[in-house]
Amino acid sequence: MPLSGTMDVAAFAAGAHLAEIHGFKTDAWTLKGAQILNVYYEVDIDLAQQLLPVTVRPVIPAYAMFNVTHYPESLVGPFTIADVRLGCRAGVRPRGFTLASYVDSEAAARELAHRWGFPARVGKVALRAFHDRIVGRVVTAEGKPALEVEMLDRDFISGGDIQYVSSMHLCRNREDGKLTIVQCDPEWTFSKAERGRPNLVSFDSALWNGGDKVRPNWPISASYAIADVTLSKIRYVSDPNQDAFRGTTQVAA
Amino acid sequence: MKFGIFYEISVPRPWDPGVEKRVFDNCLEQVALADELGFDSVWAVEHHFLEEYSHCSAPELFLTACAMRTKKMRVGHGIVVCVPEFNHPIKIAERTATLDILSGGRLEVGTGRSATWNELGGFRANPDETKRTWDEFVRCLPKMWTQERFGYQGRSWSMPVRTILPKPIQKPHPPMWVAVTSPGTEIDAAERGLGSLGLTFGSVKEQETKVQNYRRIIANCEPVGEVVNNQVSTVNFLFCHEDTEKGNKIGRRMLGTFNFLAAQLLAAREAYPTKSYPSLGLLPSLRKEASGPADPAGVPEGIAIGDPERVLRACKRWESVGVDRINFLLNALETIPQEEVLNSLRTFAKHVMPHFQDSSSQAAAAGGGR
Repeated sequence: MPLSGTMDVAAFAAGAHLAEIHGFKTDAWTLKGAQILNVYYEVDIDLAQQLLPVTVRPVIPAYAMFNVTHYPESLVGPFTIADVRLGCRAGVRPRGFTLASYVDSEAAARELAHRWGFPARVGKVALRAFHDRIVGRVVTAEGKPALEVEMLDRDFISGGDIQYVSSMHLCRNREDGKLTIVQCDPEWTFSKAERGRPNLVSFDSALWNGGDKVRPNWPISASYAIADVTLSKIRYVSDPNQDAFRGTTQVAA
Repeated sequence: MKFGIFYEISVPRPWDPGVEKRVFDNCLEQVALADELGFDSVWAVEHHFLEEYSHCSAPELFLTACAMRTKKMRVGHGIVVCVPEFNHPIKIAERTATLDILSGGRLEVGTGRSATWNELGGFRANPDETKRTWDEFVRCLPKMWTQERFGYQGRSWSMPVRTILPKPIQKPHPPMWVAVTSPGTEIDAAERGLGSLGLTFGSVKEQETKVQNYRRIIANCEPVGEVVNNQVSTVNFLFCHEDTEKGNKIGRRMLGTFNFLAAQLLAAREAYPTKSYPSLGLLPSLRKEASGPADPAGVPEGIAIGDPERVLRACKRWESVGVDRINFLLNALETIPQEEVLNSLRTFAKHVMPHFQDSSSQAAAAGGGR
């Protein structure tokens, strides 16, 4: 039968930085003019499977998404966030399971964690656009380099050519103290899009709740876009100990 | 209307020794029965690295075995991947000609370009280039089959003048098809005088518009070959059982299993932003339509699952919008026991096939097969 995630959720939760979400009722949040760098690498599937809860299934080939996004304006001011996600399927739907996030703003980290369950910590996160490359860098609050990723050889494409996937966040619900997986379904309106050559300069899996299990082994693609992003209200949550078909609950229309 | 069977050859885990052999043997037994029952053709995909979903990476060998076990059925590549990293065009011409000879002139050649990162990435093919290489290949193949000597200087491949051998039996050459998955590919097929080998279900209404466009354009085509193939084929699931409830239940299980399997693969577009793949391709389309609006029995419109009456209605619906052929997937991950698959073929041949005027099956169906 098809593969499923094999994560020991309780053990993972004990060792990882997870968000405490303040219930599932939240308003949408529109963030204008986001600059989004996405770099995809194939990763070792046997290890990636151990970082996915049984709720989801690994994609074949397994791949990791390295995302660095700068939001120039928001209610809490400008901020930059970086995520590492594993490509997966919830039922038959493409998703990215977020292992960890770093944000360069305490206020933004709080909003994202409390409202959508982003496993966000404060760190130094930067996104720089040069004439020949886009560079994303993450350093932890303790000064440890966590990620440096690039898109080289910039080339214009259409925003319609980009296919982002929604993310899923393992978090603890403050209302009942239970672990849950929240699905975050952003909407993107593109004003610019580029594609280029992916280059993962450095990456420390352990700093992204991945232990030594996220092992990038083959570049796939890199894209950079400018888009208005709307983080929609939460519609679906899932039980991290059941597959998505059985354990998903609709919490809003 | 003609009916064929269509193979992905999906093999369930655990992959213990012998499991692939058992699945291939089951397929070949189905093919032999389908030939006796009057099914018109057997098609096999070319897929690589698609764990469980498809272990059919060498379709020319499987189709050769099919040809050896059958008398009348045509054997079809559904499709040959026309991307140089997968298949050199000279090898395609040689292999297909050989299969045409071995099958006694029963070969159909479907062409296409792959739609998954599993495969494109695995062969290190450039997704931006596949439409162009496909176009070059389909223009060269008929010449390689028909000209005594052939030379070519092109964009994705070139060769000095040589004699490509052997030559196919069918004259001027085997019928050619194009896998139609991405929107607009039916137009590519029509403009080149190639058959439209639908590999997504699409809603019947959606398909009707596509067929009309195809017919309008192919009437004024510039054929790449020496003969125009103006047929429209679609793919479907088949599970036909006289017990309505059992037919629906087992058929739905096959649909669900197929969708689940297909979802696990990585569509080219999801992994690699490119205008070359404007849709997510075959797999999500199959999923979407196979899980689309359903009738009270829970079976989506146009899917050939259920009792003979329902299956007949589904096939008649496709016929009414101008589809010439339906190719059926018979199983997914061996969820349906082999004997049930064989019975489904028999039931279809006995109760459904005789209702189609052009079906080559009528005589055989009346006899009921073995």
